[in-house]
Amino acid sequence: MADKPTSNSSFGLQRRQLLKIAGASAAIGGLGLGASLASASESSQGGVQDESILDVAIIGAGIAGLTAARDLQNAGNHSFVVLEARDRVGGRVLNHDLGSGYISEVGGQWIGPGQTAVADLARELSVDTFPTYYEGKTVVLGGEGRVAIDLHGTFGTDETIGAKLSALSRDVPCGAPWKSPRLVELDKLSAGDWLAQQNIKPEDRQGWDTSFLLTCGVSPAKMSLLHFLSMINSAGCDYMKLDSIKDSAQGTRFVGGSQLLCVKMAEQLGEKLRLSCPVREITDWDREVVTLRTDQGLIRARRVIVAIHPALCNQVKFQPALPAGRAALQQAWPAHSPARKTAMVYKRPFWREKGLNGHTIQIKGQVLWAWDNSPPGGEIGVINAFVVNALLPSDLKDAQRELTQIYARSLGEEALNPIAYYDHDWGRADPWSLTCVSAIPPGFWSSHGESLRPPCGNLIWSGTETAEIWAGYMDGAVRSGHHSALQALSSLRRV
Amino acid sequence: MKKKIVLGLLALAAVLLTLYGRDLMGFYYLLEHVEATTEAYEAEGPWPHVADSCYGCHGANGNSQNQRYPSLAGQPAGYLTGQLQSFASGRRNFANMQPLAMTLSEAQISSLAAYFERQTPLKNHWFRADPQVQKKGEALAASGACVACHGEKLMGQMQFPRLAGQGYDYLLAQLDAFAADQRIDPTGSMKAVTANLSADDRKALAHYLAALAPANK
Repeated sequence: MADKPTSNSSFGLQRRQLLKIAGASAAIGGLGLGASLASASESSQGGVQDESILDVAIIGAGIAGLTAARDLQNAGNHSFVVLEARDRVGGRVLNHDLGSGYISEVGGQWIGPGQTAVADLARELSVDTFPTYYEGKTVVLGGEGRVAIDLHGTFGTDETIGAKLSALSRDVPCGAPWKSPRLVELDKLSAGDWLAQQNIKPEDRQGWDTSFLLTCGVSPAKMSLLHFLSMINSAGCDYMKLDSIKDSAQGTRFVGGSQLLCVKMAEQLGEKLRLSCPVREITDWDREVVTLRTDQGLIRARRVIVAIHPALCNQVKFQPALPAGRAALQQAWPAHSPARKTAMVYKRPFWREKGLNGHTIQIKGQVLWAWDNSPPGGEIGVINAFVVNALLPSDLKDAQRELTQIYARSLGEEALNPIAYYDHDWGRADPWSLTCVSAIPPGFWSSHGESLRPPCGNLIWSGTETAEIWAGYMDGAVRSGHHSALQALSSLRRV
Repeated sequence: MKKKIVLGLLALAAVLLTLYGRDLMGFYYLLEHVEATTEAYEAEGPWPHVADSCYGCHGANGNSQNQRYPSLAGQPAGYLTGQLQSFASGRRNFANMQPLAMTLSEAQISSLAAYFERQTPLKNHWFRADPQVQKKGEALAASGACVACHGEKLMGQMQFPRLAGQGYDYLLAQLDAFAADQRIDPTGSMKAVTANLSADDRKALAHYLAALAPANK
């Protein structure tokens, strides 16, 4: 197998069959079908005639890559393969099986208003949604202190500051922050520079620190104000639709967990999906046929959709070297936000009958934010948390004990007796994610914005980071998947 | 009957008072905590600090409780400066740190290095030592002459890092990286030291160092 081109004769056969039926149907935009037709008959136009050569190789079986694959298939193009480094699909979305049919999400898990692409996909895949549980009091812990307060489905952020940010975000287009008319002024500032001018009271500062760690993956001093504003712009220029729970980007979950989207898409791909197949080297990306060296041999394709995180691209060897602009973008792309997420499982969500919503916010403690992540019917109780990795011991038993003691203070003594604990540090679990959300630093978009999307030869850049709306979110992943499939099909048509 | 009601009301009042009182105390302690942490924080300058971006992985005041993420507290400024520059230039390879180091100006690197050097290193609280492995590691540390570069108490000096009380998984990953030429130190000593160590030796050495309590400065 090693170093031999993989045979794809069945793909070629399907393509010929497709030619016969395709002529009559109009389908998903003439674009898609036309493209697949054109590429299928390219041999008559003097292109490379070799049935082992695929139309498209997709790198990464996360939401973006699988959406792209699904679109190709829906457009009638079956000459593609999806190459996934891990032995599972989903990328940064992952379900942890709690047994008895229950799961808890380990990676990306929420959607919210305006995230219509992922909602649409879920509808097509028959994956239902339900609201994040927020009714009741949130507990704030700090030192020996404890306060239970009804935050009405928010994180208790000062909404006047939020409103100022919302107003500023109107000038920062989410699809291209570097095209903001206020680029020069805004991109030299960190969010911290800006917040420092807002007379924020000491008791509110921790809230901002925490919300930046959760939403941006970094503290305010190293987060680009411009990028943060572009994220608010994605949320319809409404800060509260980005950084709150109810009616916001943390407000809605998928029944069966977010990874179910990927599992369902993968089911439709059959052998076109190859797991445990990392791509090590990409050669001839500037020529008609691109060669990918994988752990399962060589793949040759006319187009490559790169649906992995920009920083992960640094682990792939490119021959020839990528253009300077793209190479610089990949190198500088922040990768220091590998979240650690935990799940504590209880027989019942016992906190609910006490009027608590199961949410805990800890000031300068191990827990950034814990929340009720129980299944829709509340049949069992699950408390998920984002934790400060360095403040919680790495040993799972120790971590569990520390967390149960915190939860006992916020939710009651019952918290000392969980039935299971799960802990996932994305920085350590495997090398295939590196990081979570993008902690874009000041100045980044001024230097690298123009290199984000333009294809390099036959390499089409995808993944949520390239999305025009909701970049960094599951919704952005779906959008980028659709977009890259259209790009591939459209460009193949011109072969 | 009437007596029962009165008693009931009294009991209710007592419960309410306790609850209300507890809430009040909880609120008071919370405010006190905010005040204390704010004061300590502002001693290093107004909110927010650049060093906040190190907090998630390297802990409060640079003391990580996680065996895989190194503590920076008490590290010599010369070592920290050198490593941040190496990450930024790509001489030291770690995908999570490189882009972050690239964002730091020379002034920020100096001030971060000075800040972490000032912090008091804490004992590696969560590490459980096995006395036998620890003993083997101690002998290896002696024969490898670690103290020659890392200082008498292995607290680090100049461009050489503190090893005492560092995270076990981190230490082991570094020893393995030196042995495999994936991390290279400017003097080449670490290559020479690790060349003679088996995988088990490296584990024992990491074990000894992780368990070693940081000396007072």
